[in-house]
Amino acid sequence: MSKILVDLKNIKKSFDDTLVIENLSLYIKENEFVTLLGPSGCGKTTLLRIIGGFEDVDEGTVTFDGKDLLGIPAYKREINTVFQNYALFPHLNVFENIAFGLHIKKIPKEEVEKAVLNALKMVKLEGYGTRKITQLSGGQQQRVAIARAIVNKPKLLLLDEPLGSLDLKLRQDMQYELKEMQKELGISFIFVTHDQEEALTMSDTVVVMKDGIIQQIGSPIDIYNEPENRFTAGFIGESNIVEGIMKKDYLVHFGGYDFECVDKGFKENENIDVVVRPEDIVLSSKRKNRITGIVDDITFKGVHYEIIVMVEEKEYIIHSTDPVEVGEVVSLNFDPDEIHVMKHTNA
Amino acid sequence: MRSLKKLSYPYIVWMGILVLLPTLVILILSFSDLNIFDIGVLSFNFDAFGIFSKESVIIAVKNSIKFSFIATFICFIIGYPMAYILANSESKNKTLYVTLLIVPVWSNMLLRIMAWEILFFPESILNMFGISLDLIGTDIAIIIGMVSMYLPFMILPIYGVLEKIDKSIIDASKDLGANSFRTFRKVIFPLSVSGVVSGVIMTLLPAMTAFALPERLGAGKINLIGNIIERYFMETGQFSAGSLISVLLMVMIVMMYLGLLRFDKEGEMLI
Repeated sequence: MSKILVDLKNIKKSFDDTLVIENLSLYIKENEFVTLLGPSGCGKTTLLRIIGGFEDVDEGTVTFDGKDLLGIPAYKREINTVFQNYALFPHLNVFENIAFGLHIKKIPKEEVEKAVLNALKMVKLEGYGTRKITQLSGGQQQRVAIARAIVNKPKLLLLDEPLGSLDLKLRQDMQYELKEMQKELGISFIFVTHDQEEALTMSDTVVVMKDGIIQQIGSPIDIYNEPENRFTAGFIGESNIVEGIMKKDYLVHFGGYDFECVDKGFKENENIDVVVRPEDIVLSSKRKNRITGIVDDITFKGVHYEIIVMVEEKEYIIHSTDPVEVGEVVSLNFDPDEIHVMKHTNA
Repeated sequence: MRSLKKLSYPYIVWMGILVLLPTLVILILSFSDLNIFDIGVLSFNFDAFGIFSKESVIIAVKNSIKFSFIATFICFIIGYPMAYILANSESKNKTLYVTLLIVPVWSNMLLRIMAWEILFFPESILNMFGISLDLIGTDIAIIIGMVSMYLPFMILPIYGVLEKIDKSIIDASKDLGANSFRTFRKVIFPLSVSGVVSGVIMTLLPAMTAFALPERLGAGKINLIGNIIERYFMETGQFSAGSLISVLLMVMIVMMYLGLLRFDKEGEMLI
């Protein structure tokens, strides 16, 4: 177990009577890649700005490396930020932008030069030092913003949707590079995004947020396979969410049939929600004791087909590599461990 | 685009008649010996250049430079902080404050000058409060007048650029370890230089060419170049001498303008 670097306890924050963060507690360990994931307006950027020192809290405590962080102004924190729109200095060139923090710390010229060139190398922008910021593409600007932050060797790097404005290919490359960089530098990253795929790809820990409240904290695999509620299940990937009843441990009833499952610990006959991921359902010709419906639509998605099956007014999404005919009667098959039972929440 | 181009023709004609032609006339007059009281054959010579050895002219040139620089400097010292406070104000009445700043400019300048003039006489309405300024004809009167006339022209362009600076850039500076003072020195001020250059141009040039203001507030004791030009044209009728000083003034302004432009490499804030 590595040490806790940032510890947030019972954070409350509101803007003009609108509660943005509600009694939030969260800790981040050393050398951990944490992603704050949620739809826009869920408070994730505000949380990042609180850690960065750009917002105060109404209530709660934040400690950094065991010391109280809240009284310390942003410029004294050993934390650097990659801002959403990069916030590069337009009057300075690439080199001067990256050297800004080091110049402020009055580090000798030769060392600054060495560190900046090193940082440029790290973000693959060697030879761009004398370029103007306005001469760079979005992806290059983003790299400069990262270099400008990491050159200061912070213990914690905050990234506020830094990949948002990049095209898909570049975004995927940068996701990989950021992850590599984080491993190499051995510093903690807090990464804010609303893109669930990005969160799953890069993180050690994903924090799912909605309306200023943490919905779930866990590894990408846990978050994907064991969502705790309807919101997380729906936000992370596509899913079929069905209301049902937990008859007893390991036996769940939904869609008109009883199914064996691997979940337990619910009350007898408790109302629950069931999640089955589209790729976990296998279609077959009509079978006994299986949910059966009519194929309503099929769309080719590249890797797989997206098939919509109507079962008594309820749509099921299925991902399959085998095509079926629209109008065909099919049964839905899934293994017990592919059924995930959650506490019931209203849709 | 071609049809739009035609729309500029009247403007080109207008500029030709009212700017280019008079400038040419003034240039020609500078090298002639034309005298309104003795219109003879136009001949070209350098006789008019004799005025540069005249003490009144030398003093006027010095005065113009002195007063315009002092007034511009004071306008900057007062105007920059005002623009800064205004730009960073989160008040809902921000627009109102900016408007209040502009409103005086809408009233007639001569009227405003004469308002100061009345206050600067030893006997004025201020006697009611036991105050007698007695400033008329002093350097201070001219400087107060100039600062009050031109301050809005310093504030507005600076306010314009400060207002446009992205707040996240300031956050970034603090994030990288710069406190408020260093953020100002290393980020905010450099980014506002173009506004300062515009403000200086907008203040320095009218101050240098001021004519009514020194006439009223200087009460004939303090003359700027504009007053000398007026005297040569209107009183002594020495058109060539008046023209030559006008040309000198133009050269000074163009040189200063070009000098200032070097600070504003982008040139985006220039009017």
